Amino acid sequence: MIVPGVMLYQTGQASSRSSGQPRWGLLIDTNALNESDVDACVRACQREHGWNSVPDSKTDAQWIRKVKLTDPESGHERFLPMMCQHCEDPPCVDVCPTGASFKRQDGIVLVNKHTCIGCRYCMMACPYKARSFIHEVLKDQLAVAPRGKGTVESCTLCVHRIDRDGANALPACAEAVNQEGRKTIWFGDLNDPQSEISQRLKALGALKLRADMGLNPGIRYQGL
Amino acid sequence: MLRFLMLACLLGALPLVSVSAADENASSFGRVAIPAPMKPADASECVEPVEVMRRDHMKFLMHQRDVTVLEGERNSKYSLVGCMDCHNPADASDEVVRYENTQHFCAGCHAYTSVKIDCFECHADRGLARSEQSELVSGDQSRHLSAHTFSQKLVPARVD
Repeated sequence: MIVPGVMLYQTGQASSRSSGQPRWGLLIDTNALNESDVDACVRACQREHGWNSVPDSKTDAQWIRKVKLTDPESGHERFLPMMCQHCEDPPCVDVCPTGASFKRQDGIVLVNKHTCIGCRYCMMACPYKARSFIHEVLKDQLAVAPRGKGTVESCTLCVHRIDRDGANALPACAEAVNQEGRKTIWFGDLNDPQSEISQRLKALGALKLRADMGLNPGIRYQGL
Repeated sequence: MLRFLMLACLLGALPLVSVSAADENASSFGRVAIPAPMKPADASECVEPVEVMRRDHMKFLMHQRDVTVLEGERNSKYSLVGCMDCHNPADASDEVVRYENTQHFCAGCHAYTSVKIDCFECHADRGLARSEQSELVSGDQSRHLSAHTFSQKLVPARVD
């Protein structure tokens, strides 16, 4: 390793596609999401994990954000939820000096807060601005989401639900907008060609944000 | 002679004093009382025998935390959430015992043995019923996240 993230040589890396492991991902249909839907996603995440964002703060927790895209010509606006993209080749994992930032075998990118030293290299490395740092002492965290001062955190894809329910799990953000028979966010196994999310990706295609960087994110967007 | 008598009386009284003190309360000599943590009301036995848990609970927890975080195994009998559900259950009607309080199941012995841990800087120091968790998803915008304790208001999302 020359510097974190830059290797002089690399050994062959197993592709997650051939490992037989699932790779969890989300497919977000931005055509069907309006501003209040994205707000609902954010609130659902806050409730599920017990974080909150502070207006006009540059350092508050940001597990999931509302991003507004405006076409300057037509003035057309579009809103999308923006969170950790759970990359196949996550730069946050490359730069982590302690191995705290890691990718699980099922493709979920997490911070192991037991070994995180709070250096925030991963926050610098993440091109999606998906991670945030906890600056203050917290109290009354929820049992499913331990969080504490001096560590970095980000979207976990609701890993506690996935560990419990597997392919039938639904992250809180998706649950918030998939109400009353309406479906706007799909969760599933990207490695399984028969899964609903893979079928839909095959039929309709979707965008990987900043696909030019070759990180192969697990979160895909339709309608951008 | 008088001095000798006084000494004899004093020596004779000493064992009596110490016996009665040991019977009553060790703290009358300024010693720290041996903690007697509350046992869960609705469970007869722990996940391991008490002697094993006293000596090795930290090893179980240390092993379990890596298995949970790295491999996603959350239903093990050694989960910290499981400890808290049994040893410090919290429902809406009860006052929550915090780790800062030596009445907390973990805190009593840790204080006695001068052990400083940081589990509860991140982890919940009280149990949270599963029903309460599901309420979190469907509740209204500004309700409390856990019984009595978390009262921060959720604010609308920031637009970037």
